[in-house]
Amino acid sequence: MSSRSVAPRSPLLSRRDASARPFGRLLAFTEGRLWAYLLLLPSLLLLAAIIIYPIGSGILLSFHEMRLTRADLGTPFIGLRHYRDLLTDDDVFRLALRNTVVWVAVGVVSQFLLGLVAALALNRNVRGTGVFRLLMLIPWFLPSVVAGHMWALMLDSRLGVINDLLVRAGVLAHYQAWFVNPHTSLLAVSLVELWRSFPFFTLFLLAGIQAIPDDLYEAATTDGASMGQQFRFITVPLLMPVIVATVVLRVIGLVNGPDLLIVLTNGGPGNATQVLSLYAFQTAYTAFNFGYAAAISVVMLLLLMAFTVVYVRVSGATKE
Amino acid sequence: MFASQQRSRRLFDSLTYAVLTAITVFALAPILWAFLTSLKPETDIVSSTLQYIPQHLTLENYSTIWRRSGFAHLVGNSAIVAVLTVTICLLFGSFAAYSVSRYRFPGRTQLLLFFLVSRMFPVVLLLIPLFIMLRQLNLLDTHLGLALAYATFLLPLTIWMLKGFFDAIPVELEDAARIDGCTRVGTLFRIILPLARGGLAATAVFVAVSAWNEFLLALMLTTSNGSRTWPVGLQLMVGEFQLPWGQLCAGGVISIIPIIIFFGFIQKSLIRGLTSGAVKG
Repeated sequence: MSSRSVAPRSPLLSRRDASARPFGRLLAFTEGRLWAYLLLLPSLLLLAAIIIYPIGSGILLSFHEMRLTRADLGTPFIGLRHYRDLLTDDDVFRLALRNTVVWVAVGVVSQFLLGLVAALALNRNVRGTGVFRLLMLIPWFLPSVVAGHMWALMLDSRLGVINDLLVRAGVLAHYQAWFVNPHTSLLAVSLVELWRSFPFFTLFLLAGIQAIPDDLYEAATTDGASMGQQFRFITVPLLMPVIVATVVLRVIGLVNGPDLLIVLTNGGPGNATQVLSLYAFQTAYTAFNFGYAAAISVVMLLLLMAFTVVYVRVSGATKE
Repeated sequence: MFASQQRSRRLFDSLTYAVLTAITVFALAPILWAFLTSLKPETDIVSSTLQYIPQHLTLENYSTIWRRSGFAHLVGNSAIVAVLTVTICLLFGSFAAYSVSRYRFPGRTQLLLFFLVSRMFPVVLLLIPLFIMLRQLNLLDTHLGLALAYATFLLPLTIWMLKGFFDAIPVELEDAARIDGCTRVGTLFRIILPLARGGLAATAVFVAVSAWNEFLLALMLTTSNGSRTWPVGLQLMVGEFQLPWGQLCAGGVISIIPIIIFFGFIQKSLIRGLTSGAVKG
């Protein structure tokens, strides 16, 4: 923390010729590139301790046997056995993989579309836009535990207001148990996730749209381009980097965040809402099979990295 | 010609309002419903006919949940963890953010990318070794241990956000100060940090809210009421005692009040801070 001790004195010192002072060399040093690294050092050390080291040992753990319930086994090296078991002999894993794809696809598409519609509407800047924007963003800042229970109450099979409204409107003949029916449970949780996360897209897409210079649209209007054409040939291409970045971040969030599923279904009914993140979590903290859970997590990480690389390549966002 | 243009514009405005209203209703309805439910006595909540307007208003649920199983204590724990997390993130993050904002050095782009995608590491992969490490350091089930775990995803985010705010401050201001004899570090403390006050506050709020809301890490890294946070406590109450809906809603409302207050105060610069990095790419 040398920077802290230097900082308060430095302006006084350097008011005269710094090099003539005892601290002169230290001050000259703060101009250089080394200083950039030094300022980064505390954060990098901390992140190395709490991210790099744990991730590294987590990956190593996936090649070992480690069960808290079987201390007698110790933690022997078993090579790729967990991975072999995962890929050849684990029906829950296969189901969780398929559910994860559905969960992410449904989630990203629905959240993106609603977020985009909201952003386009907010961008028209009608009176009161500020209030609408403020209110719309609130769900994104709410805790998953509260969000989950709010919706559990609204979708409840006996007391749920949504069932009541749908029956009154004549859409449903009788109340549905949305989270208990294996055909609707994943979609029901996806609805809650849509509610909680569409503001993320709204926020970033709106900022991206607003950063597009107005004169592009003015020129297009002069040339007789319709609103649809303007959207297709100006808004979408210029928004592409923001779209790519937000989609990647959201996919990461959906793959890695089992919070809502823990609160709402815990993977059930059966394994209808079992996804990889939840499966890894349960393997670690219900079955206490740490090695196997680490292997599931490593597979998730590899899938995410592969997705990100391919998606960024295909969408051509890397070329500036 | 002109009249028809104006008419289509007005039509378009009405459509805009319809869309905005519909989405806002969707966003607020669950919160409103939880609030209404929290004001009903339990017998009215579980009665066979649904009451849209509460017939018997009561604050009973609030006083019960507040006294129940040390909910007040859980809220206190969450507040302490949030403050610790903000302190760690801002202390470490502002130096790092200044560095990536003002210096150009080899590895900078890769580092920024790492900060952005550090969320890619699955929580469980991080959690197992983190759990073992914190236990060895005697930090398991402590406020500080949980705050350190939160820094895994909040410190990179802090650096990213603060970089955006620092970038927005013209370099000329620093140049002027340095001609007057201020050093690099001097400008950080005398120019950048004071000018980025709003940004620092927005970042602090975002970090605090994220720590306040976090569930998964808190569930695994706290084991007793000494450091357990309210989302975990509330979830355990639901599991253990079949917490009545009214009390559950009251607990939810209590816990989101600070978020909504903070968010209302700071939303403008918060939104700017979150989005500036994304827009500039």
